[in-house]
Amino acid sequence: MSAYWILLLLISYRDISATTFDATTPTMVSNITYTSAVMSVVLKGENQTENVQLLNRVRLELDCTWAANENKQPNITGYWTRDGDEIEDSRLTVPLQNEQYNLKRVFNIEHEEDLRKYSCVFGSQAQIQFILTVPGIDHVPDKPIVSYIGDYVALVCKIKDTAPKPDTWRWYKSNETDKVRTDVLAEPGRYEIKNEDLKTTLVVYNLTKEDSGVYHCGAVYPLKTSVGELTLNVLSFMEPLKILFAIVAEVIILVAAILLFEKWQSKKKPREENGMNPLPTDEMMQEESNSLGESSALRQRNV
Amino acid sequence: MTMSKPKADTQTVEPEGPDGGWGWVLVGALFVSIGLVFGLVRSMGIFFVEFIQYFGESAQAVSWITSTGVAALQFISPVAAALCNAYNARVVVITGGILAGVGLILATQATSLLHLYLSMGVISGLGWGLVITPMLASVIASFTRRRSLAVGLAFSSVGLSAFAFNPLFQMLVEMYAWRGALLIVGGLSFNIIACGAVICVQKTPQAPAKVMRRSTCAGMLQGISSYLELSLLCERPFLTYTLAITFTNVGFFVPYVHLVAHSRQVGFSEYQAAFIMSAGGVADILGRIVSGWFADLGNFRMIHLLAMWMSLAGVFIVLLPVSSMTGSYPGLMVVSLLYGFTSGALTSLVFSVMPKIVGLKRLAGGLGLLQLLESGGGLVGVPLSGWLRDKTGNYTASFVVAGSFFILGALTMATLPHFFSCTDPPPPQGQSKNPQSELGLMAQPAAITDTDDDKETQSKSIVGAATPELNGR
Repeated sequence: MSAYWILLLLISYRDISATTFDATTPTMVSNITYTSAVMSVVLKGENQTENVQLLNRVRLELDCTWAANENKQPNITGYWTRDGDEIEDSRLTVPLQNEQYNLKRVFNIEHEEDLRKYSCVFGSQAQIQFILTVPGIDHVPDKPIVSYIGDYVALVCKIKDTAPKPDTWRWYKSNETDKVRTDVLAEPGRYEIKNEDLKTTLVVYNLTKEDSGVYHCGAVYPLKTSVGELTLNVLSFMEPLKILFAIVAEVIILVAAILLFEKWQSKKKPREENGMNPLPTDEMMQEESNSLGESSALRQRNV
Repeated sequence: MTMSKPKADTQTVEPEGPDGGWGWVLVGALFVSIGLVFGLVRSMGIFFVEFIQYFGESAQAVSWITSTGVAALQFISPVAAALCNAYNARVVVITGGILAGVGLILATQATSLLHLYLSMGVISGLGWGLVITPMLASVIASFTRRRSLAVGLAFSSVGLSAFAFNPLFQMLVEMYAWRGALLIVGGLSFNIIACGAVICVQKTPQAPAKVMRRSTCAGMLQGISSYLELSLLCERPFLTYTLAITFTNVGFFVPYVHLVAHSRQVGFSEYQAAFIMSAGGVADILGRIVSGWFADLGNFRMIHLLAMWMSLAGVFIVLLPVSSMTGSYPGLMVVSLLYGFTSGALTSLVFSVMPKIVGLKRLAGGLGLLQLLESGGGLVGVPLSGWLRDKTGNYTASFVVAGSFFILGALTMATLPHFFSCTDPPPPQGQSKNPQSELGLMAQPAAITDTDDDKETQSKSIVGAATPELNGR
C-alpha cells in the first residue's frame, strides 16, 4: 500500500501560497473560485492506490509517472478511467521520456458525484488508482447502544483527529417505516446537541421505547456530508431485573440446600456419639456437646 | 468423625485442622468468594469506560470508586475479625455478601459519581471486607498439613475470575448497558451468601463471659480490645512480620499499575503490552498453586520460603526496566513471567505463616490487624512510584524503588526471632497457662486481655485475611 494522503494541502500547489484549509487566494475561473492542486505519484510496481481526501471544490491535476520496464517501448497507450470505465477522449499515446512514461489530467471536482475512483492506466499493465473522498466518520460502534426508559443517552460521532473539521454537524433519525430522515432538531427540549471541532454528541433525554432506532450523524463538508449510523435500543428495566431475580432464587435454593444438609448431618452426629459412648454421665454429656460446639469452630467436620 | 477435644488442651504442639473433607468444600467457597471480590474489582475497568462516557468525568475521578471500595475493604477488616470473635463467622460473611450485592444494586440508580462512591465504593467495600477476612481465617484454621496449598488454590481464583469476568462484563454491558450489567453483577455477588453458609456455626459458650464483661465500662473496652486482638500490637514478632509485609506492599502494586505504561513507553504496541500482563497473570496463578503445594511438603520452613520469594520478586521487579532497556521483547516477557510467578508464590504463604506467629486462637484478629496495617504500604506505594515517574521521566526509578522495598521486607523478616533455626519453633498457644508457649515464636506469652479460657478462644472463629492485592489491582 502506498501513503495515505490526508490533506490535499500536503501536495504542492501550483500557484497558491496559503497553507490553510480553506484556501484564501484562489484562482478565479469564470465566477467560480477554485483552488488548484496537483498530485504527482510515481508508480512502483504495477498497481498502486492513493487515497485523496478533499474538502472543497478543487481543480485537481493528477500526475502519473511510470518507470519503463524491460520492454522500453518508445510509445505506449495510456488512458484514464472513472470507477473502472474508460473516460472518453482520454486515450493518448505516451512517449518514453527519460526512461519514464507520464500521464496527466485535470479533473474539476465540484460536486459529490465527482468523488470517485480515478485511475491512470499505462498500456494494459500498470495503473495508479486515486480514491477521492471527504474525511469519514471514525469508529462508529456496530453494536446497538443500549439505554433505559426514563434515562438519557449520549450518541457520539467523531472524525479522526488528523482530519480537518467539518463546517457543521447534523443529526437525523430514520423511522422504521420509511427511510425518510427527520432532522432531530425538530423536537427541542428532549434533544441536546453538543458540537466540538471533531466530535458531536447528541443527548436524548427522557427516553421512551419509540426512541429506539437508527440515528445518522452527518459531518458537513462543502463537497459532501460524511454520514455515520448509530443504532439505539431502549430497554425496560425489567429485563435485567428478571435475571437478577433468577440469580437471587438460585442463591436462596443453594443456601437452603446447605442448611438442610447441615441439619441432616447434625441429626446423625449425636446419635453416633451417644452410641459410641459407653458411660454417659451428665457431666460427660455436657462436655461432649460443648466439645462438639468448640471443635467445629477450629476444625471443620470431616464429611 | 469429629475429634472431641478434651477441655484443657495445652499439650498439642501444632494447632489442629482436620485437613480434609468439609475443609475442601470450604476452600471451594473461599475460591468463589475471592473471585467475586477481587476478581470483580479487577474487572471493573469495563464499567469505568462506561462511567467516563456517561457522566462525562475524568478517568481519575472514576478510578476513585475502586480506591474507595478497597480502602473500605481494608479498614473494616479488624472490625470483621472482632465481629467474628463476638458472634460467628457465618453471620459476618452472610452480612458481607448482602452488603456487597446491595451496594452494587444501589449503584445502578446512580445519577452522579458521588452516588457511585457511596454505593459501589463504601457499601460494597464494607461488604467485601466482612467477607474475605472470616472466610480466609476459616480455611486456614481448617488445615494444617495442606494449609498453603488450600490457600494458594483459593487465591488462584483472583487471576482466573479476572480472566473470566472481563469478557463476561463486556458482554453484559453491551446487552444491558452499565445499569443493567451492574444489577446482574450485584446479583452474582449474592452468591457470597451461599459461600458463607458453608461455614459451620459453632455454639458459642462465650455468652456468659460477654455478660460478665458488659457490666462495667472498663470491662467492655477490655472485651473490645480482646476481640480486636489489640494485644498483638505489643508483640515483637507480629509487629516485625507486619512491617515486613507492609514494606512488600509498597512495591507490590507498582508492576500491575505501571507495567503496561512502561512497555508502551519503551516502544512496544498496545497488544504486546497487554500480552505481557496476561502472561504475568498466568504465571501468578501458577506461582500461587505451586508455592502452596511446595510449602506443604515440609522440606523447608515457610518463613524461609516466604523470605526467598520476597527477595526473588524484588530482584525481578528491578530487572523489569533493565531487561527492557535493551529493547528486547522476549527479555521483558521472561522477567515479567518470573515476577508473576514469585509474587503469586509469596501471596500464597503470607497468610499461611500467620498461625506460626500469632497462634491459631488469635488468627482472626491477627489477620485483620495485618490487613489494616499493610494497607498503608499500598496507599503509599502507587502514588510514590507515580511521582518518581513524573520526576525522572521514566519508570526505571519506580521499579527499582519498588523492588528494593521487597528486599527490605525480606530483610525485616530475617529479624524475626528464631529465623535462622532450621526447624519451626512450636507455635504460641496464646495463653499464660500454657508453658509451651514460651517455646513459641513469641517472646512472651500475651495474656493481658485473654480472660477467656480454652473453650471460648477455640470457639472464636478464625478470621482475617489480607491479601496484598487489596488495592484491587
